[in-house]
Amino acid sequence: MKLVKKGAEADIYRGSWNGRDAILKVRKPKGYRVPQLDARIRRQRTSRESQMLSHARSLGVTTPLVYLVDTANYAIIMQDVPGSVVQGLPDDDIVGLSARMGRMVGTLHRSGIMHGDLTTSNFVYDGGRDALYMIDFGLSQSTSKPEDHAVDMRLIKEILNSAHARIMAESWKKLLQGYARAVGYERRAKIVRLVSVIEGRGRYATVV
Amino acid sequence: MVGKMTITTATSTKSGAAAPRKKRVLGLGIESTAHTFSCAIMEKTGYDRGRILSDVRHVYRPDDGEGIHPREASRHHVEHAPGVLAQCLEESKTSVADIDLISYAAGPGLGPCLRVGAVVARSLASFHGIPIYPVNHAIGHIELGKLLTGARNPLVLLVSGGHTMLLAFLDRQWRVFGETLDITLGQLLDQFGRALGLASPCGRVIEEMAQQDRQPGVSPAGRGGNGTSDNYGNGGGDGGGNSGKDARRTARRRQQQQQQQQQQQQQQQQPPPPRYVPLPYTVKGNDVSFSGLLSAAKSAAKSDKYSACFSLQETAFAMIGEAVERALSFTGKRELMVVGGVAANKRLSAMLSDVCRRHSCRFFVVPLKYAGDCGSQICWTGLLESNVKRGAAMSDTFVTQSWRLDTVRVEY
Repeated sequence: MKLVKKGAEADIYRGSWNGRDAILKVRKPKGYRVPQLDARIRRQRTSRESQMLSHARSLGVTTPLVYLVDTANYAIIMQDVPGSVVQGLPDDDIVGLSARMGRMVGTLHRSGIMHGDLTTSNFVYDGGRDALYMIDFGLSQSTSKPEDHAVDMRLIKEILNSAHARIMAESWKKLLQGYARAVGYERRAKIVRLVSVIEGRGRYATVV
Repeated sequence: MVGKMTITTATSTKSGAAAPRKKRVLGLGIESTAHTFSCAIMEKTGYDRGRILSDVRHVYRPDDGEGIHPREASRHHVEHAPGVLAQCLEESKTSVADIDLISYAAGPGLGPCLRVGAVVARSLASFHGIPIYPVNHAIGHIELGKLLTGARNPLVLLVSGGHTMLLAFLDRQWRVFGETLDITLGQLLDQFGRALGLASPCGRVIEEMAQQDRQPGVSPAGRGGNGTSDNYGNGGGDGGGNSGKDARRTARRRQQQQQQQQQQQQQQQQPPPPRYVPLPYTVKGNDVSFSGLLSAAKSAAKSDKYSACFSLQETAFAMIGEAVERALSFTGKRELMVVGGVAANKRLSAMLSDVCRRHSCRFFVVPLKYAGDCGSQICWTGLLESNVKRGAAMSDTFVTQSWRLDTVRVEY
């Protein structure tokens, strides 16, 4: 097994599981956190992630297959999906994938799942098979509240605005188009409105 | 000279038409966004080498348990402005005539306070014919931090009373990679501290109270108001005179207080380490939210203040730590720089340096003295702007209470 990435909250190893390419995602203890808090966070996220990965898959949102969950070690073994994260793709490709990303998010929301960490680095695109995967469900929640769904959309908007500033406008538009295809135009309008409400709550936001 | 100034506008002069670059430029910076009124004089040599010649501050102190009252704060600023300015000039051994440019904090901040600094800057600038630069206070924190720590291309964590933001520079603008969705880290600490009856800013006292190896005999609670009785009572609400029931309750409360005091005396001799009380931990992607944590910590403080302080710090800082980790792994930055008033907190620094070790990234904290609001941050940003811009026209020297730093184009 080889360490491939030290992520923000977990270490990712690559290996194989019963002959298939697999990754091991371990939530290691963080020295800077109080042990009780640390354990609580790791336990919660491991179980959430494993459940939601499967749940999302059952809804038709492509996610890695979960092979094994080891709650004692806060570890998940799952399918190693080929491809690269959308964050690093050329601008044109990101714009091209935006509608599909939006539709995936909409599908989750429609079924009462909030991803919780919607960034361009949590989508993996496999150009060869033209497959788009959604990953990293550690912060996901079961919720149908429009407010929570708006938090999701606001985050991806913020990321587009900061990391992909050049294509922000176009990509956001496409994303919302895709989103509307899953949730409907009425719902989209509501969420977009809530996104501005949340933005307005931010520090020193321009109050119109 | 004054006439010439009013016809130049900030927008018409971009980098190409920069002012003739002198070898040594002297700047005066005026900060008055919130509780601090400060003047600083700095010199810039070349493009971006700077030195602080003097930095004088006077801080408005609200009553214990209360926050900044904008009008009172601005009155404080008005009263102390001449003294601070004079002392600043004296310490740097300069006179107003030597100064090449004046910058003032034009936002974000409290309107009445901002206006004081702006008026001082405008008066000096128009009377002496010195170019004037309105500066974004938050950018000031970052630029001064970069100057003092030597960070080149950092992910910036700005934590203060006004901001809790993660920023990275991209394409001429500071971009937000995460921020608080409601109150800031500084506000969280202050509002919690005020609920305990502490004098704001409360960050330092809370830090002391949270420390596990408290020194015997040191009672940090005593410093800000009489901490022992403030938790209960709620302003001595037993004045209604409802016969025996109240009297009994009062007696019981007194007993409780006595017990508490005894307990505290015992604690002073042998303080038990604060326990960790579970509090809400709210991370939404790269963003954090503190309001639920604040309410929960306030109620936890009713039974044990020290544990509440400890748990509040641990939870809030862990949230920041996680947001930083997420932003570091997303942006791939190799440097983290912490600026703003809360950067002075040692526990936060310790946690963040641990984060940085994990991500093998260099860790910079702005020196304690310049973590909080100060004139230098304004002065230095003005000096940098002078590399590419002429001063603003007098008619453009507004203040803007809500001026987000991610809307500022950085041309230098």
